[in-house]
Order: sequence, then C-alpha cells, then structure tokens
Amino acid sequence: MKRRIPQELWFVVGGLVLFGALFVAEKTLNRYLLHILILMGIYSIATVSLNLTNGYTGLFSLGHAAFMAIGAYTSTLLTFPVSLREAYDLPRLPWFLGGPNAAWSFFPALLAGGALASCAALLIGAPVLRLRGHYLSVASLGFMVIVVTFAKTLKSVTRGPMGISAIPLYTNVYWTFLWLFIAVYVVWRIVNSRFGRALMALREDETAAQVLGIYPMKYKLFAFVVGAFFAGVAGGLYAHLTKAIRPFEFSFTLTFQIVVMLIVGGMGTMSGPVVGVVLLLALRYALKPLEEHLKLYGLIELIYALLLIVVMLWKPEGLVGRKRVSARGRREREEEGEWARFSILK
Amino acid sequence: MGRVISLLKVEKVTVKYGVIPAVQELELEVARGQIVALLGANGAGKTTTLKTIVGVLRPARGRIFYDGKDITSLPAPQRVRLGIALVPEGRGIFNRLTVRENLLLGAYHRRDQGGVLQDLEEVYRLFPRLKERENQIAGTLSGGEQQMLAIGRGLMSRPRLVLLDEPSLGLAPLVVRELYTLIRRIRESGVTILLVEQSAPMAIGVADYVYVLETGMVKIAGTPREVESLEEVKKVYLGG
Amino acid sequence: MFSLSYFLQQSMNGVILGCIYALLALGMTVVYGILRLINFAHGALITLGAFFMYFVFFRFGLPFVAALFLVLGFGGVMGLVLDLVAYRKLRGGPEVALLITSLGFYTFIENLTKLIVSPQPYAFKTPEFLATLYRTPYLTFRTVDVFIILSSLLIMLAFHLFVKRTKLGIAMRATAENLEIANLMGIEVNRVISVAFVLGSAIAAFTGFLWGAKYGQISYDMGFLTGVKAFVAVVVGGVGSIPGAMLGGFVLGLAEVLSIAVLPTRFAEYRDGIVFAILILVLLIRPSGIMGIREEVRV
Repeated sequence: MKRRIPQELWFVVGGLVLFGALFVAEKTLNRYLLHILILMGIYSIATVSLNLTNGYTGLFSLGHAAFMAIGAYTSTLLTFPVSLREAYDLPRLPWFLGGPNAAWSFFPALLAGGALASCAALLIGAPVLRLRGHYLSVASLGFMVIVVTFAKTLKSVTRGPMGISAIPLYTNVYWTFLWLFIAVYVVWRIVNSRFGRALMALREDETAAQVLGIYPMKYKLFAFVVGAFFAGVAGGLYAHLTKAIRPFEFSFTLTFQIVVMLIVGGMGTMSGPVVGVVLLLALRYALKPLEEHLKLYGLIELIYALLLIVVMLWKPEGLVGRKRVSARGRREREEEGEWARFSILK
Repeated sequence: MGRVISLLKVEKVTVKYGVIPAVQELELEVARGQIVALLGANGAGKTTTLKTIVGVLRPARGRIFYDGKDITSLPAPQRVRLGIALVPEGRGIFNRLTVRENLLLGAYHRRDQGGVLQDLEEVYRLFPRLKERENQIAGTLSGGEQQMLAIGRGLMSRPRLVLLDEPSLGLAPLVVRELYTLIRRIRESGVTILLVEQSAPMAIGVADYVYVLETGMVKIAGTPREVESLEEVKKVYLGG
Repeated sequence: MFSLSYFLQQSMNGVILGCIYALLALGMTVVYGILRLINFAHGALITLGAFFMYFVFFRFGLPFVAALFLVLGFGGVMGLVLDLVAYRKLRGGPEVALLITSLGFYTFIENLTKLIVSPQPYAFKTPEFLATLYRTPYLTFRTVDVFIILSSLLIMLAFHLFVKRTKLGIAMRATAENLEIANLMGIEVNRVISVAFVLGSAIAAFTGFLWGAKYGQISYDMGFLTGVKAFVAVVVGGVGSIPGAMLGGFVLGLAEVLSIAVLPTRFAEYRDGIVFAILILVLLIRPSGIMGIREEVRV
C-alpha cells in the first residue's frame, strides 16, 4: 500500500511541470504552433478515452466520432451567445436550461457535452456491447452514421449541413491540458485497480472472466460510458477551438484518424495514445503545406493508412507496446467449437 | 531378410504446442492390412498423433514413413493423394452440405471422375442408409449415420490407410457394434486401419496390435492378448 | 402522391439497388464465411472498378465487352493482391486485427484514388447503347436498368452453380463451414481462400461499373458506405448463407429505397441512417438473419 503514494505523487509533480511548461509555451509560441499544441491535447483526450474502451477492454468501437459530435453540438448550443442566436437560426435555451437569455460558461458546458455523450453511450451500449468483436465494430459504426445523419437533418437544432459557426473561442492550452490530465488520471486509476484488471480479463477471454464472477455487461458498459464522456469533452473543446463545426467533420475519417493514432502509438498502454497523437499530428502539419501547394489532396490520409497497415502487419502492438503472449494457444483455438465462430452474440 | 516394410512407420516423433510437447519420441508401426488400436486417456496425445500422420501438424523431431517413403515434410493434401485418410474426432462432417456433397468432397483430390462415381456406389452399398439420405443436409442425420458418413467420406479418397479418431464417441452401444462390424469389413477390403479409441474393449476386440499412450509416449505395446492380461490395462481401461 | 406508377418506379429502383447490394454481399460473404473477416477493402474495389472502367472504356475507347472483362480481371487481381499481401499474414490472429487492417487498406485505396485521379467526382456517362429510354404507362426505365438486373441475375446464377456443382465450389462452402476440418481432409485451404477473394473482388469491381452507369457519378469515396451496407445485407440475409446474402441484398435495397419513397421528402437524407438502424434492429432481434444457420443443427 505504501507503494501507491509515490505514483500519485508523480501525477502531482507531472501536473505542475506540465502547467509550467504550458505557461512558457503560451508566452513563447506563435498562434499557429499553439493551435497545433492544443489540437494535440484534444486528440489525446479522444485517443486516451478510446484506449480505455478499445485497448483495455477490447471493445473495438468505431463510433467514437459520434460521441465527439454529441459533445461538440451540445456544448456549443449551450454556450452560444444569446445575442447571436437569432442571427444564426439557433434556438434559445428552454427554461430548464437557463431560459432564453442564458448562455452557459465553458466548464459546465463541457461537462454537459460529456454527460450527454455518456447517456448516448449508455443507451447504445446496452444493445450493442453484447455483440461479438466485429459485429460490435460495425454496429458502432452504424451508430455513428445515425448520429451524423441526425446532425445533418435536425436543421432546427443543428443548422444541418451548414453547421454552426461563430462559436466563442473558449479553448486554450490550460483548459485542454487540464482535461487531458483528468482523462489520463481517470484512465490510469481505472486500469490500475481491481476493476481495471477485470476489464483486461474480459478483453482476453470473456468466458473465463465470467467464470471468475465478472459480469461482462456492467464492466463493458462502464468503460464504454467513461470513454464516451471524455470523447464528448474532446468534442466540446474542439468546437470551441475551431469556432465552427459541421456534421461531415465527425465522420468516419475522424474515427479513423484516432484509431490510427491509438494503434500506431500502442493500444492498451498508457503512453501509447499520446505518442501516437504527437507523431501523427506532427506528421500531418509537417506535410500540410506540401499537400496544399502541390494539390496532392489525400496524401496525409494515405500516409496514415499506410502507417496503420505497416504497424498492423509488422508491429501490431504499436510503437510503445510490447508483444503480448497470447493466452490461448493454437490448439485451444482448434478445439474450440465451430459454432462459436458463427455466433453473433457472445 | 524377410522383414516386410510396414505401411506406416512413425519414428521418434515429437510434436509440440508452443513449448509443451504433446507427443514425445513416439514410435509406432502399422503393417499392411492390419487394424492397429491406439488407446489412452484424454490428452494422451492420440489425436495429435493422427493429425501429425495426416500432415496437419509438423513434428519438431522425428520422421514418418509411409510405404517406405519419408513423408515427414509432405503437406497434407499430398499425403491424402498418397492414400492416407483421416476420419476426425467428432465426425468432422460438413453439417450444412448434403450427404452426397460430403462424400464427393472426400474424393476432392482424385481426377478420375468415373472412378469416383464408382466408389460412391461402393460406399452406398456399404452404407445403404446414406443412399437413402443422399440429398439430405448432413446436419439432420443421427449420430450413427453421421459417423457412417464420416467414414464413407474417408473411403472416397480410395485410401490405403484410414485413421479413425474415436469413431464410437457419443454413439449408442448397438450402433457401436454395427460400426465395428463395418470396420472389420473395411479391413477385409484391403484397407489398413489405425484406430484411436478411448473405450478400450471394443478396440482391443478388433485390433491386430495395440499401443497405449500416456502423456505423449507409448507406454504399452503388444498383441491384444498380451495387452489385455496386463494388470494396469485391466484396471484402467477395462474396468477391472 | 402514391400512385401505382410511383410505387412501381420506386420498387424498380429498389430492386436495382438490391441487385448491386446482392452482388456485393455475395463477394463479402464468401470471404467472411471462411476468414471471419469483414473486408472493408471490398468497398474500395467498387471505386477501383468504376474508375478503371471509366478510363478503359471512355478515355481509351476499348470495346465494351473487352472493357468489362478487363474490369473483372483487374478486380480479381486486386483481390488476390490483398489476400496475399495482407490477410494471409494475419490469419490465425485476432479477428479485430483483420478488420483494422482492412480498414487501413480501404483508406489507403480511397486516398490513392483521390490523389492519383481526382478529389472531385467524375461524371460517368451511361454507355450509349444502354441509355435508351423506355416509357410505359406505369414505368419509365432505361436499358441500363434491365442490364443491371439481368447481369446481376446471371452472375448470381453462375455463382450458385459454381458453389453447388463444382468441386472447388463445394470445397469453398465446406471451408466456410469449418476451416479446420477442410484442412484436415487435405483441401488446399489457401487456394480456396484465394479463389474466394478473386471472385468476390471481380464481382465488386463490376459493381463499380454498374453503379457508375446507373447513377451517373463516381468519386473516390463512393465505396465506403456501399461496402459497409453490403455487410449489413450479409447480416440481414443471414451470416453463413450464400443465398441469404443475395436475399439480404435485395431486402436491404428495397427497404432503403422504399422507406425513403414512402416518407415525406425531407426525410430523404435519413437514407443511410435507416440502413444502419435496420442493422442494429436485426442484430438485436434476429441476429441469425433471414436465412442464417440456426444453432440447433446437430454437431
């Protein structure tokens, strides 16, 4: 038990160092670089939260962008300045959210965005998380399509395909990295607890975990909901950084980017996601001028895809990860009942 | 010199799953036209042995000779072409295909269309009930019929050596007796049989030679009479 | 609003979309049946086939039939490449790894197309001899519509015969049912898998042409959703069943078109959402699909 204290001390120390560094960064870096830094923070939150559901719990969800969308739209609709609402065809807030003359401040709005995303995760998780491996992936992908469809069509609320612009610029380095700090801490605490070990047991072999008395649904849902929360927060931070959001931004491309960052960095490790984000965003911004000037549209995504393929074929544990010894040998897989392969439900 | 070359000779074969050896320094021999029984408890390595003989598993050490030829590095499809057929544990038929399709698959490697159809008729003669259910989906057959289908499919490749993995598993005693009559008939037609069973009495009753495996090694080997009289065998496998 | 001719017209559109989905589902289900791989890259082959046809037929002016065969061949080759380069290495590993890699390949091909050809959509002219318009009292259609239906039925029939009557086809069904046992019997499983990829990919490439000819436009991202919807069709029809996949394709195509036709026009953009709502419903209520294998089959 004594061992625990130094680790949490690291967090405190690390946090102080981090914020010290951010202070320096804010004063010294130009706006463009600062913008990239903040984006790295936001993507890190998204990737770290995806890591909880995909990496540690083994639920390969492809719908993460949907939660970001929910968080983005929710927080935006809450913080949008009252004076501009009329001009931008956005509804005023109903009485229970503060009334027609209210606009929320940033922190509560982000919380609300995350909370709504969590609710969505709860709703969609109950049916979808029962599904096996790739059925879960496709179902979550489908969920994302449905959310984006709603974003495009509920014009009275979301302004449809035009999206919402003139969002107040509330996001800065401090908010972003505060949330990243919180996210990392939460994930770290979960992973290093009995709960976390249960999650990882589920990831390896669900049947075995059940025998140990672990109710899969409870744990999977928890990881899913927590992951969704931070994704929602990330979405809110994103909206208030780029000052404009449109439905198509939250499509599969976004999920794909986060997935690549997670896998290249290393799923199921603590530092992997951040490593992946830093590497891939740095790559993106280094190549961006090339893509735009030479009109080589698609080059960056192409390289992302190539990186993913290379990693999957030759180093699937990612840059930071270590090779996991597969608990189930080939023989066990051979002897496994064939019908297990066809069952969609576990 | 007089020593006839056996049809199958397994020489000091070791097969590993990862680092765990499932079969260690195994040696056995099957002479032409014989029925050889391979007995042992669950996990003794019987199925592993059969899979290695048919070519699905590679031995880490040792060699396998078939008809005098070293087939250790030959892939499974080629071994089937040479005349080795495996009837897997649990029947291993394709439940969603028809009886006829299952049987035809047994002859997958053969090029002689006419011969295949002839053999199909032979199998139907041996198993008239399969002919009745020719176009039925295999999954709807009874356990015994499925076992017949599995054996019939094995015979369709015109094998010289048939490896039977626990054919009596899950079958009613009456059906098992029928099955063993069939096994004798197959031997009479000139096919050599290596028979793996957990249930010893019936296997010993039909075999010309018996091997007993324990933890991947041959513990006991001998003629049925020799083996039967051993105390251990009587206790463990024959129930006293 | 709902006249008989409107209903018939939309039904026809639904059937045509259904044909395309059925063909795609066919290619997907054979590979899925054997490898448990949702081949997202399947969608990429639609895009490749469409653009390949565009260049070969419109730009280089090759005769139609020759161009078609080239498209089929091109698709087949691409499928083989995917099999050999990517999926073979990952076989035996976790299923999710295959899925992720196929996503990577899809994105790679999509962006390669975007890069090499154009980020802007291309207009795909229906070939002249397919463009004749026919007006009947109830229905208006073009030759291309008939072409799509006929060629799809032909391909489905050919596939059905292949899988029921030929040795390789039966072996493919057997391998899809139980790869281990097929291997034990000495069936060259790798060859069967490669054939499955080649056939499925060739058909997918052909579908790209059909899509372009019918809808008049091709773009680098045309394959993604369509490819995923093909998988939805497989699930709806029943995983593990080849006729099921074809049926699922038709059901999905009709459902997609008719639901939009029946709802007020502002719901038109819900089209994709509806397809995935169907998927989620099916997975929850009847996961084995319409014709899926039922677990009670004796083993």
